[in-house]
Amino acid sequence: MTQTKVKKFNPVIKVIPNVRDATKHSITRLSEKTIEKTQDVGNFLTVFADVVLFIWLIIKETFSRKFEFKEFLRQCYHTGYKTLPLISITGAIMGLVLTIQSRPALLKFGAVTMLPGMVAVSLIREMGPVITALICAGKIGSGMGAELGSMKVTEQIEAMEVSSTNPIRFLVVTRVLAATIMIPMLILYADALGILGCWAGANLKGDVSFTLFFSQAFSHIGFIDFIPAFIKSFFFGAVIGLVGCYKGYHAGRGTESVGVAANSAVVLASLLVIITDMIAVQITDMLVL
Amino acid sequence: MIESPNKRAVIVGVFVFTGLVFLLAGILIVGNLRETFKRKMEVVSLFEDVAGLQKGNNIWLSGVKIGTVDKLNFYGKSQVEVRMSIDTKAQQFIPKDSKVKISNDGLIGNKILIIYGGTEKSLVVQDGDTLGVEKTFTSEDMINTLQENNKNLLAITTDFKTINKKIALGEGTIGKLLSDTSVYTNINAATKSLQAATIKAQQLIGSLATFSSNLNKKGSLANELTTDTVVFKSVKASVFQLQQMADTASVFVANLKQASKNPNSAIGVLLHDEEAGAFLKKSLKNLESSSKKLDEDLEAAQHNFLLRGYFKKKAKIAESSLPEK
Repeated sequence: MTQTKVKKFNPVIKVIPNVRDATKHSITRLSEKTIEKTQDVGNFLTVFADVVLFIWLIIKETFSRKFEFKEFLRQCYHTGYKTLPLISITGAIMGLVLTIQSRPALLKFGAVTMLPGMVAVSLIREMGPVITALICAGKIGSGMGAELGSMKVTEQIEAMEVSSTNPIRFLVVTRVLAATIMIPMLILYADALGILGCWAGANLKGDVSFTLFFSQAFSHIGFIDFIPAFIKSFFFGAVIGLVGCYKGYHAGRGTESVGVAANSAVVLASLLVIITDMIAVQITDMLVL
Repeated sequence: MIESPNKRAVIVGVFVFTGLVFLLAGILIVGNLRETFKRKMEVVSLFEDVAGLQKGNNIWLSGVKIGTVDKLNFYGKSQVEVRMSIDTKAQQFIPKDSKVKISNDGLIGNKILIIYGGTEKSLVVQDGDTLGVEKTFTSEDMINTLQENNKNLLAITTDFKTINKKIALGEGTIGKLLSDTSVYTNINAATKSLQAATIKAQQLIGSLATFSSNLNKKGSLANELTTDTVVFKSVKASVFQLQQMADTASVFVANLKQASKNPNSAIGVLLHDEEAGAFLKKSLKNLESSSKKLDEDLEAAQHNFLLRGYFKKKAKIAESSLPEK
């Protein structure tokens, strides 16, 4: 007697009965596969519904009267200030490496003077926001997932509910908001340090004064480069916060669930950052045209 | 180390504040909004064609950006009024008679307006003034000119083609010249003659060279004349004497001539009187015959016994005076 594995609560399984047959006729096998795929679709829809409900709860609790401001500040401190050293180093190296790699190609065309503008545009439009968001997805996303996952495992969330503290408001809303606000700030820092790194890179093999570099860099940047990048950084922050909190809040019961939650938070957050970037670019392109 | 909530709040506040400062600085720099804080004045120009000029394009004076295009409006029938917002610091450098032209920022860059020219005597431009415009050649003008050139070139090549065809058929002077083979034969013969003449000329030059080298040989008259100063002096003296002799002879001849003109003078008689001439001839004949006879008599006298001894003695003295051999 074969039994199909039921991963989670799945309304579809209740409609289609379990297949019990040892002969494994081709039709039987086909129907088993169909059921499996249907279950996967069902799982996906379930997860999607959970996410939507989760987001709805967060929005609802954000605009509630009892906003946890202290917890929000604490989360801002951990999300923003504590990540600053990492982001600073990353941003500076990003600018430096980009300059060093781009210089030989421009030198062939005698267009080395365009290097500051080119690197500044690349950093501000794409490299700064996306790479910073990916690093934050690794640090902040995994941190949130692990923290909430361990709280779930140790039943602290249930204890909070019992002590009439809304866990969504206290734990999730503060984290998501902190990520949404702090990550754009971190991206601004990364861009600024990236441009400084670019200047350092330009002076490794050349001689460019900061004033000249500055005017060359910003002569090529317009609002169409700056504003869309800044706006999408808020979406990056929201995505990282949401994914980290969702994975942690919905972690399983075992201790290994904490690791799974942290890991899956990073992976999913990174993927969603890239997808969000793609959508943002399409929208920006449409607006320009 | 666990930070206190207050310290944490301050740090977050500073962090957010610094981020907002970066954001604001970025917006100001990117949007060039720092220009907003500069005092501006407005200057107007009227263009026939702005060739894609847009609001916000830069305005240059001697290569320095001094403002931007503020507005573009239609004016009159087809002109475009361009309102320029210029930094007041640049006002003193823009005379009223300056001109404005449309140019490009780089080879394929944005359109810009360039203010140039103007005389020092002219007053400085004021807010609201209108500056003159110079028409610049756009790429479209160049293409139109090129098109005209192409048409002209086509006409020229068409004519040339017709001429070429006629030449190929042997029509016209050049055609006949090119197709006529006798011309070639004549030219060939002339060339050969020229070659022969050249050879002979070379031989002549060679002979002349030999002759001149002989003349210049040491000891020859030409060499002596040219190099020896003594010979030249003696030649000069001889020539002088000859000259003197010639002068004397000419005087003698002149006197002789004058004398011969006079029929009473001896020479005149000799030259003009025929009778005297005949008498003289006869006298000379008689003298000749007389001298012959005298000669015979004297010979006879030598052999006379009275004079024979004298002549023998004389002959002996003559013999003894001769030197011994």
